[in-house]
Amino acid sequence: MTTTQTASDNKGLKALEQKVLGSNLCAACGACLSLCPYLSSRKGRVVKLDNCNLDEGRCFAYCPRTEVDLDKIYSKIFGKGYEEIELGPVRKIMMARARDPIWRKKAQTGGVVSSLIDFALRKGIIQAGVLTPRDGDLLPQGKILKSRKGILSCAGSSYVSGPTLEALNRGPWKGEERIGIVGLPCQVLAVARMKTSTLEKKTPIDRVDLVIGLFCTWALDYKPFTAFLHERVGGHSIKKLNITPPPERILEVTAGGKLHQVPVDEIRSFIRPSCRVCLDMTAELSDISVGTVEGKEGWNTVIARTAVGEDLLKEAKKTGVIETRPLPKDNLDHLKEASLLKKRRAIDALNEKGGIEKAYFTLSANLVKRILSEAPENAK
Amino acid sequence: MSSISQNAPGKTVLLMGNEAIARGALEAGVKVCAAYPGNPSSEIIGGLAKVAEEMGLHVEWSINEKVALEVATAASFAGLRGLCAMKQNGLNVASDFLLNLNLSGCRGGLVLVVADDPAGVSSSNEEDSRIYAKLGDLPLFEPATFQEAKEMTRSAFELSEQLGLPVLIRSVTRVSHARGNVCLDELPKSSTKPRFENWLRFTPLPAIANHKLLHEKLNRAKEMAEKSPFNFYRGGEKPELLVVTSGSGWMYSLEALINLDVQDRIGVLKLGTTWPLPERFVLDHLKKADRILFVEEVDPFLENNVKELYAQNCVDLGLKTFFGKASKHIPDVGDLSPEIVTNAIQNLLQISYESRPADYSLRAHEIAAQIVPARMLGFCPGCPHRATYWAVKIALALDGRDGFVLGDIGCYSLGMGPSGFAQMRTLHAMGSGTGLACGFGQLNRFGLEQPVVAVCGDSTFYHAAMPALANAYYNGSNFLLLLLDNSATAMTGFQPHPGTGETATGGEAPVIDLRAICKVFGAHVEVVDPFDVASTVETILRLLEDKKGVKVLIMKRQCALVSAKHQKRLYRVAVEEERCLGETCGCNRLCTRVFKCPGLMWDRQTGKACIDEAICTGCGVCSEICPASAIRKEKA
Repeated sequence: MTTTQTASDNKGLKALEQKVLGSNLCAACGACLSLCPYLSSRKGRVVKLDNCNLDEGRCFAYCPRTEVDLDKIYSKIFGKGYEEIELGPVRKIMMARARDPIWRKKAQTGGVVSSLIDFALRKGIIQAGVLTPRDGDLLPQGKILKSRKGILSCAGSSYVSGPTLEALNRGPWKGEERIGIVGLPCQVLAVARMKTSTLEKKTPIDRVDLVIGLFCTWALDYKPFTAFLHERVGGHSIKKLNITPPPERILEVTAGGKLHQVPVDEIRSFIRPSCRVCLDMTAELSDISVGTVEGKEGWNTVIARTAVGEDLLKEAKKTGVIETRPLPKDNLDHLKEASLLKKRRAIDALNEKGGIEKAYFTLSANLVKRILSEAPENAK
Repeated sequence: MSSISQNAPGKTVLLMGNEAIARGALEAGVKVCAAYPGNPSSEIIGGLAKVAEEMGLHVEWSINEKVALEVATAASFAGLRGLCAMKQNGLNVASDFLLNLNLSGCRGGLVLVVADDPAGVSSSNEEDSRIYAKLGDLPLFEPATFQEAKEMTRSAFELSEQLGLPVLIRSVTRVSHARGNVCLDELPKSSTKPRFENWLRFTPLPAIANHKLLHEKLNRAKEMAEKSPFNFYRGGEKPELLVVTSGSGWMYSLEALINLDVQDRIGVLKLGTTWPLPERFVLDHLKKADRILFVEEVDPFLENNVKELYAQNCVDLGLKTFFGKASKHIPDVGDLSPEIVTNAIQNLLQISYESRPADYSLRAHEIAAQIVPARMLGFCPGCPHRATYWAVKIALALDGRDGFVLGDIGCYSLGMGPSGFAQMRTLHAMGSGTGLACGFGQLNRFGLEQPVVAVCGDSTFYHAAMPALANAYYNGSNFLLLLLDNSATAMTGFQPHPGTGETATGGEAPVIDLRAICKVFGAHVEVVDPFDVASTVETILRLLEDKKGVKVLIMKRQCALVSAKHQKRLYRVAVEEERCLGETCGCNRLCTRVFKCPGLMWDRQTGKACIDEAICTGCGVCSEICPASAIRKEKA
């Protein structure tokens, strides 16, 4: 239907363009891609190709940067609101690593994510994974993968966000598969929005049975970042990227048979503006969230958030896919601090940009107050 | 339609103005005819091409207007009669040669017909070519009727031969493209053998001496114009108003006089030789009235020249008041109509006259809207240009650096509008897109970061873009040229060109390979089929990003109208209704709302797209762009 509404009433592409794409808030998560012919992406940038005059659309409804009522969405996914402000809903938290060295060898840290997806596939819990391999030039892209080789190709990180969720929307799907998704915090939020949206779905979102979220402090904008890297390494193709833990925080770039070291401060300007207003470090809207453990090389922090997640971890441990240890209290405290710090920074950034009331999410004043009072001071 | 080659003296036939001109040339014994197609002039040489064999002529579509004039001139230098035809823009191209040829003079009758396009109906510009006659001191005829179009052409050849000067004929759309009765004369049987006489010399040098000689020739022309049958007066000895007119203005003026019933109050001075003016003849008629109205299309050529003449003779003539474009009684842009002339005369004579009810236009539009579907100016169904611009639009958006398209002259000029998704940003002369790209492609050193894309059709490329491409390589410019090779000069009526393998008269011709030319000019050349949208988008993106220097992407796909004539359609296309997402989220009528090929229809009842079988050419592009795979194509 053509619209007579003003742009502010629009909940379709028009509003997405104005509030997200045009405001440089796009997280490049891929949720709006391959739903329709009007949006496409290239090298980490989502691009509007033509106008669509619909009053509301899935592009806007699924976007993690448009009108998210956090309390409502947490209630729908977890049965309780946005109340655990530190790490989101937690059933179990632990340290873990894959036992088979095949996963650890290629992994950024402990190989838990890859081994869990592989396990879920082998157990028949899911028949397909929506994962994020990278091309030879670090460009991440969403892909439907069903084999161990495919999963292995996704291990590691390029610190660049990519349109993973496009693969979920695009298919091809046979129509039966149960699906597992591995995503960044923005992506798991988008998946939660997809699941809870009242618009006609037309995608297999209801068959997504497993969501594994990755901890994330920020992601980089592909084009300027890779241009910078290529200049740094003299045009060689880049084999691996790794950021060392604090306090050094060095980006190690393996390229042309050499290890180049770049202070992280030098790449901060490539952080996507969208990440600066993101509340979520630990990918809260997942079944299982996975990150690193500071000071324990080769181990992952793992949070089970739902019954699905908890059961999978239990089974994986029982069958020897992963081994776990309790997360030391210091690490847990540190993790909570870091998570709250990300929330505080996002709120501060939004307040600077015109007020938290105008933010893409709604959160009660009370919760905002709690975050600000519990979060550590905004140290560098 | 009557053939222009029938030898039937005294017979009256219905001819288009352009055919009448062609017939006049045949009656004058023309031997060599050349042109580059351009409306409204194309049917002159096009018509002669059809009878070339039976009449023993050489007729050619030349690569551009300058070459065409040079080809016709060679015949004249060798003692034969030559005809060249072009539209107003073409004369700009040919003008460099013409403004040397005036000084060098010529030998056999040489006539240059320029068909102006008032209102720019099928042109990029609106221009009055008559100024070239004054600029080049060349005699100029302006036919007002179809009979005159024929007679003047014949006379122009004779005058040209008498003076040793090319003679210009200026037609306009409403003369060239309308039809009327023409009484035929005999076709001559001449058999002059061409020979370049070695004692002759055709050069503009010494310029001053030849300039002087040219003025003497023009003075002779002026004397001859005094007795020309193409100049005459109709009216009383003391009219209230004298209308001075030429060309299409003559018929419009007659109609206005009849409309207002003022034939006895107004005199009309109709001039056919408008440069040089028959001065004594004009002055004699200026004496008849104190109020003078000029009626002519495009510029105030007659108006200014007569005023100039009046200024020289005002002491004898006394006070006169002139009306026309300067006084705003006649519009100084756009084409004329009987209504415009009627209004002007009505105002000057203070007559109350309603040519039609005040709400006539409104009602006509209302009625038309009920029975005629709204139709935008756009590409034909299955036109490869639509597919090209679709790919360009996507590629430039994905590239994300605000790249832009420099346009050129051809069907693809419609890339400015919705049919080309408003991709084209500039439009000027033939080949100017590539020329501008040469310049834009140098601006990166000053910080221009946007990718530069030029489009150019195959015929336009041969005509004027080749020098620009060579320049680009030589001077190290950086851009992407999309060479839209539809293997036709489509917009002007599918005339053959150096890439089509055919001559103007239907004979076989060698094909000049676009790809080879571009390679020789140092460009990186690739070829795609624009109907393969996905790979076209990818190729454009890659060329925008990867390569420095000049890149040419040949978009190879024959004009849909040409292929419809001799090929069966590629695909049978049909919409699977159950799959069509219609207006819902996920599509929202991409095919009929955005892509807009006329072969696609929107069925309001079912809320689904469907195919107009009558006009679908089966290109299959809509099947590629449909997001729901609802448009199915099967090999036809």
